[in-house]
Amino acid sequence: MSHPSRHRLSPGVAIAAGILLAIPIVALLWVPLYARKDPELWGFPFFYWYQMLWVVACGLFTGAAYHLIQRDRRRVNK
Amino acid sequence: MSAIASAAAGHSLNLAAGSKVDGVALGVLLFFFIVVTFGGFWASNWRRSDTPHSLDEWGLGGRSFGTVITWFLLGGDLYTAYTFIAVPAAMFATGAVTGFFAIAYTILIYPIVFIFMPRMWSVSHSKGYVTAADFVRGRFDSRALALAVALTGIIATMPYIALQLVGIQAVIDTIGLGGTGNAFVRDLPLLIAFAVLAAYTYSSGLRAPAIIAFVKDSLVYLVIAVAIVYVGVHIGFHHLFQSAETKMATKTKTGAATGVFIPAKNNFWAYGTLALGSALRCSCTRTR
Repeated sequence: MSHPSRHRLSPGVAIAAGILLAIPIVALLWVPLYARKDPELWGFPFFYWYQMLWVVACGLFTGAAYHLIQRDRRRVNK
Repeated sequence: MSAIASAAAGHSLNLAAGSKVDGVALGVLLFFFIVVTFGGFWASNWRRSDTPHSLDEWGLGGRSFGTVITWFLLGGDLYTAYTFIAVPAAMFATGAVTGFFAIAYTILIYPIVFIFMPRMWSVSHSKGYVTAADFVRGRFDSRALALAVALTGIIATMPYIALQLVGIQAVIDTIGLGGTGNAFVRDLPLLIAFAVLAAYTYSSGLRAPAIIAFVKDSLVYLVIAVAIVYVGVHIGFHHLFQSAETKMATKTKTGAATGVFIPAKNNFWAYGTLALGSALRCSCTRTR
């Protein structure tokens, strides 16, 4: 915690975290991917439940990126 | 307060039927208005520090908010009259492209903020910056640029505040307090609500919205739970989406469809850019 900004991520971790953050962005901005009605889920057309599912999924992806970075930080600080 | 409310209620009795005051709804509104007003003023004493008169204290709550308070504050910040009134109304009127992108953009905010904000936070924390303009001035050593950023922030917030006011106005109208008399009487409930809000923000700073966020976020969860259960049990999601599809496909007088149920090829870009643009805008204004 003393100087989090001085910390340099190892390249592998930086790339992995970047990919984890990019996946939800691409998944939501690539509209043709999900602008469909089928398959429906509990009466929700695919277009609607796909995006709502990303509310939870995006939290998991950013959470994973955070934990990767924290683990790397702890390793370097040892 | 009750004198004003009853005066406004008396005023609305002159209106056409359909805008009568709903006693229960008005009671609930007044109850939460009083709770929130009390909380807003009380907030200035909450987690009080030794130096209560600094800008850090007023604008950032003394930089002492942890994960839980920040989580509530962000929730209260993000889910507003825009989310609860403007977006559903836009979707009801013309469908997915004008409204549902809000779901996509509120998701996109988090990975985007995750990339930029930790760095901005740690620099601001160690150098003691309060606003985005402080940050720009410290980094680029330019008063003019900092001033431009500050002015842009203020001007860009104006339409957003206007939107919130329209939202409050819609709530007041629905309760039946709005009325159609002269402009002053019509806007009186709104003016009172705004004056109270301004007064406790002035006295408590960021502590006021943080305290109120606890009330607000609980209500948001309640509304979502009730809506899901009610729609699920009494209407059914399948029926709901079928009705929406039928309505959006119905031709208006101009011969065009009412709206968009699911975006087609010609509005993929509109949908995507609305989501991305709103996410970037939101990431920039939430730099607290």
